[in-house]
Amino acid sequence: MSGILIAVILLTLLALVFGIILGFAALKFKVEGNPIVEDLEAILPQTQCGQCGYPGCRPYAEAIANGEKINKCPPGGTATMEKLASLMGVDPEPLNAEAQSQVKKVAYIREDECIGCTKCIQACPVDAIIGAGKLMHTVLTTDCTGCDLCVEPCPVDCIDMIPVTQNIKNWDWRLNAIPVTMIQDGTAQDATAKNTMAPKAQLEEDKRC
Amino acid sequence: MAFKIASSPHVTHNLHTSTVMQRVILCLLPGIVLQCAFFGWGTLIQVLLAIIVALSCEAMIMRLRQRNIKASLSDNSAMLTAILIGVAIPPLAPWWMIVMGAAFAIIIVKHLYGGLGHNLFNPAMAAYVLLLVSFPLQMTTWIAPSSVALNSPSVIDSLQIIFNIGAHIDINQFRLGIDGTTMATPLDTLKTDLSMGLTSTESMTKTIFDGSTGVGWFWVNLAYLAGGLVLLKLKAIRWHISTGVLLGLFVASSIGFLLSPDTQASPVLHLFSGATMLAAFFIATDPVTAATSPRGRIIFGALIGVLVYIIRTKGGYPDAFAFAVLLANLCAPFIDYYVRPRAYGHSAG
Amino acid sequence: MLTLLDQLDKGTLWRSPGGIHPPEVKSLSNTTPIGQLPLASTFLVPVPQVGENCTLIVKVGDKVLKGAALTQGTSIWHLPVHAPTSGTIVAIEPRVSNHASALPVNTCVIKADGNDTWCELAKSELENLSNPQMIDKIRSAGIAGMGGAAFPSHIKLNPVSEIDVVIINGVECEPYISADDRLMREYSHDILAGIGIIHRLLTPKRIIIAIEDNKPEAINAMQTAVMQSGLPAGCIRVTVIPTKYPSGGEKQLIQIITGREVPSGAIPAKLGIVVHNVGTAFAIYQAVAQGKPLIERVVTVTGKNVGKAGNYWIPIGTPVEHVLATTEFTPEPEQKVIIGGPMMGHALANIQVPILKGTNCILVPSSQEIGTTPEEKACIRCGECAIACPALLLPQQLFWHAKAGEYDKAASFNLKDCIECGCCSYVCPSDIPLVEYYRIAKSALKHSADEKQQAERAKQRFDARLMRLEEEKIARETKAKEAAERRQATMTGTDKNAVAEAMARIAAKKAAAAQPSNAAPSIDTVETTTSTATPKNQAVAAAIARAKAKKAAQANTDDTDLSHAVNVEANHAPTATSVVTTQEAPLTQKEKVAAAVARAKAKKAAQQLDNTPLETSETSEAASAAQPTADTDKKAKVAAAVARAKAKKAAQQAQANTGDDLSQTVTPDLQSTSGAQINASTDVEAATDIDDAETIKKAKVAAAVARAKAKKAALMATAPDLESAVKSEPAVKSESVEHVQTKVNTPPIENTLESGVAKAETLSSSAAPTTNPIETAPLSSEELKKARIAATIAKAKAKKAALAHEATTSSDSSVGND
Repeated sequence: MSGILIAVILLTLLALVFGIILGFAALKFKVEGNPIVEDLEAILPQTQCGQCGYPGCRPYAEAIANGEKINKCPPGGTATMEKLASLMGVDPEPLNAEAQSQVKKVAYIREDECIGCTKCIQACPVDAIIGAGKLMHTVLTTDCTGCDLCVEPCPVDCIDMIPVTQNIKNWDWRLNAIPVTMIQDGTAQDATAKNTMAPKAQLEEDKRC
Repeated sequence: MAFKIASSPHVTHNLHTSTVMQRVILCLLPGIVLQCAFFGWGTLIQVLLAIIVALSCEAMIMRLRQRNIKASLSDNSAMLTAILIGVAIPPLAPWWMIVMGAAFAIIIVKHLYGGLGHNLFNPAMAAYVLLLVSFPLQMTTWIAPSSVALNSPSVIDSLQIIFNIGAHIDINQFRLGIDGTTMATPLDTLKTDLSMGLTSTESMTKTIFDGSTGVGWFWVNLAYLAGGLVLLKLKAIRWHISTGVLLGLFVASSIGFLLSPDTQASPVLHLFSGATMLAAFFIATDPVTAATSPRGRIIFGALIGVLVYIIRTKGGYPDAFAFAVLLANLCAPFIDYYVRPRAYGHSAG
Repeated sequence: MLTLLDQLDKGTLWRSPGGIHPPEVKSLSNTTPIGQLPLASTFLVPVPQVGENCTLIVKVGDKVLKGAALTQGTSIWHLPVHAPTSGTIVAIEPRVSNHASALPVNTCVIKADGNDTWCELAKSELENLSNPQMIDKIRSAGIAGMGGAAFPSHIKLNPVSEIDVVIINGVECEPYISADDRLMREYSHDILAGIGIIHRLLTPKRIIIAIEDNKPEAINAMQTAVMQSGLPAGCIRVTVIPTKYPSGGEKQLIQIITGREVPSGAIPAKLGIVVHNVGTAFAIYQAVAQGKPLIERVVTVTGKNVGKAGNYWIPIGTPVEHVLATTEFTPEPEQKVIIGGPMMGHALANIQVPILKGTNCILVPSSQEIGTTPEEKACIRCGECAIACPALLLPQQLFWHAKAGEYDKAASFNLKDCIECGCCSYVCPSDIPLVEYYRIAKSALKHSADEKQQAERAKQRFDARLMRLEEEKIARETKAKEAAERRQATMTGTDKNAVAEAMARIAAKKAAAAQPSNAAPSIDTVETTTSTATPKNQAVAAAIARAKAKKAAQANTDDTDLSHAVNVEANHAPTATSVVTTQEAPLTQKEKVAAAVARAKAKKAAQQLDNTPLETSETSEAASAAQPTADTDKKAKVAAAVARAKAKKAAQQAQANTGDDLSQTVTPDLQSTSGAQINASTDVEAATDIDDAETIKKAKVAAAVARAKAKKAALMATAPDLESAVKSEPAVKSESVEHVQTKVNTPPIENTLESGVAKAETLSSSAAPTTNPIETAPLSSEELKKARIAATIAKAKAKKAALAHEATTSSDSSVGND
């Protein structure tokens, strides 16, 4: 009986001691501010598009740090969401906006239709549109983040979001995506190369298992 | 007109995985033959049984994983695993042990970790350890080498014992030497003797030893060494791991022997008894579970050698390769992490 | 302790790690002298070949002589491209590139005239040239590294640091290739002359000609040439190195010859070493001494599937197809055509690609030589790849990470130091295409690095913008305050109202700036500022109303209840217009309402896909309803609306028929387009008798309508009919515009329109240019504004119809191009 008593007392004491240590540590090592915001912001794509409902990437990063959902960044796509999830230690959630195509796009102003209203210039969060009132505007494609914000204000609908085309410089070496026609067929039927050694297919297979 | 495309390089040499495995198996043959010669047909029966079980398990798992069964069976890796288990366990161990061991090796150790190339542990050795810790009696019941044995089992005897059918033949009659004493493996005998207070030299006078090494075991080891050298020549394995193992064991046992010759076995005994050569050339060299860089492999091998010596002399089991290999397997990622070769154009470190 | 130079003189060799010994198969092509092939009829010259930017100095239709420069540029990286033969430039357009990706690049297509006439060459004596002149000659000859990488040679010949050792690379370690071998055997003296030029430019302490020991004839030839050359003795030597792949790699060769490693990420010049290919040395001699630009090179055509394997002088730009056709190429099923050697070359998907400056081999193996790639099996971590890797990497770790998509981890294993030599794939017992994984990983890494950089830049720009907006706001506030103070000082009683008004206006503007994307509050703003009641406000209001209607339409696109959509729209549009036009004349208001109704109708029609006849009647109803209430001024608008509706109807018909024959779709559409155009022009004619301003406006409306029509036609017309549609478009435009021009009397407007016509002619791609000059015209009357509004409306409508059409026809791709 006394053995049990001793055990109970001992455990209680132990719990008390650790409780005090923890409580002390909580006070002593209290972190002012939230360093995670920087990390979160580094993950976000910096399109400053506001599609998350916040006026820019940093405000959204702050909101995530304060418990906002991580799935509100359509430009970042699933990859960004997964990174945010792992950083925040929460489960990945599917993007709540309708599935955005992962193709990077840039705005393109059909310049001969532009009436020079400067509305898109005001809308652009990264000052990637140049032009002046009553004069034609144009987009600096290298600086355009593809955020879409200029499309809506345009009164004459002369802004298109066009996908960035692949060129030799940014080609991704996906050989099996090259259309190949086999000469034994004789006819020129276009078929994507059925490459037996396509790593991508292999990859997918491995993911399945 | 369009043409077939593929990534460079467009040529490869013809040494494929299946060929490598096949060569390893072929080089095991002399050792197996000698093992049969000294310890009866049991080894061969065990090997065949293990192959059948392993291949069927492999096929079953491949079917469950919806992979290409034929491709995986033809890479010979399951067969190699089976053969290694077959030669490692006592020749007259009951059939269910080898079945259990082979199934465990293929299903649990290999495929539950992701199949060929993904397993963390050497399947054969993991299976051996499973059997050893589960059934220590059966796993240490070796029979006496035929040259010194009172009775040697015939094929029929072996089959009857292994499958436990027909007239009950006592396995112990095959464990007796010509002097009528029960014979364990040389390492086991030595361990028992040393614990009984005998010196290693006194122990060496027993019939199972021929002065410096175990009867039969020496030749079996020599056969495996020969096979291993052929493998090296064929470039089916590289020298790093084997050299590491042998050097590690030799150095460790030499130091021990020099410090205390009475209580320690000689380096020669260490090198030519038990599973030393088999392990050094055929088991530890399993690339999947070893370290990857050349330097890492030497370290990996040496670690096995030293561990073998420590377990043989200080541990509870007479032979130690299974444990040493598994422990080194555990260390392999760690070794890989720290032993990275200096890449071209980078300063050392 | 010997110095490096002593050891170089002794011919000491160092060991380079890794490497393999693949079958060489060089005897297939190196037994015959370098030959000539018949001239191709067409040449494909990609521009630019080296360097990112250049200016084309020729245009389609130009006649060029052999050796004439086609491009010029200012960047130091730029290398001019030369015509490989004399002929006519028949096209400058994207063509499939000689690159693993087979992506199209801009290419000059030259039709050879068969004469192969050289342009004037500037021959010069070496002694008379200064070093900068030589480098300039080398550069203008367009000489790039001939070993495959095509690095501009003039940069390597003009280094910033001191060069001690020059290595002339005659190793040619890739199997099958023997171009350099033959070149060294047959042109050793020319090569030596080129080396002499390099010697003069770089003044190195030693020049080492490195040749693999499997080319004894080349070694002999080069040694003889060295003996006979006038170069200082002891400065130059031929060093024979053991045959091993990839000894010919720049870094590997430097290690073998000097024992030193090029630091990761650095260039050999940092060590005081420069490597030049023997082919480059030859080209340098040709360029400097004879003034010949780099327009042809030795190419090994080899493999069991060509009848006449060997080395040939092939003009750069010759299609591979032509080369193969003239060397008795017999294709087989699953034939591979490899540019470069079997280890590093890329397989072509299409052989209508040109020979480039770095193309040293065309390999067409039979399936016995180079079979199909076996299926990838699981990696057994055998480590053979690590042993074979010349860069001392751990290929299997790279592979694990690359396969798992953990590219940053792969990068931590020094992925960027991989030279893609293919040794690891060659030895892999599991047939894993390791190099392909690395390339994908490398491009992904590059991509993510670019993206990161861009994100960083975007962030900076965003922050800068925020700061600017803040500053502007403060500046504005202080300015307003100052002005207010000043005015307060000098204010009379009557000015107070004006000031208050101005303040209100500023406040409103601020509110508008705060919520630029929100349409509703900005309507209020407009309302408050309508006290000035300028036509501009109307335009803005109309735009807003349009935006609202558009938004409503968008919101309802998913909604199945179409009538609801139209209701909402109808509600929005009139209210918006009525808000705006409270102070307008009743006549104008009516007109706007009518226009809005027509618009709503048209939109509704656009949404109702299956109800064509009904919708037509509705439209005509709208038109007829609008007509009696409007005067002649309005007629044009109505006509426009009708025309629009017609065009839309045509679009819908096209939509309805998309599933069926495409030609059917296009024909009625074009017909209706032309019909509508006639309508528009008759409208304009009818309106001529009123007054000038009105005429102009109508003409403009007609122009807008015609434009919309033309655009639609362009959209409707799928690939086969696209050309005809595009052709008809400028015709329609210029016609209507000219029509307008004849009716116009006011001089300033005439000028504007003339410029518009000029623009339309020069651009000849769309009608829109007419709007821009008109906008900037001095005439800012109300009618003109309205016309513009109408034009934009028409345009927006046309676009919407086009979008709807696009949604149903997946084949259309010309939206962004019109």
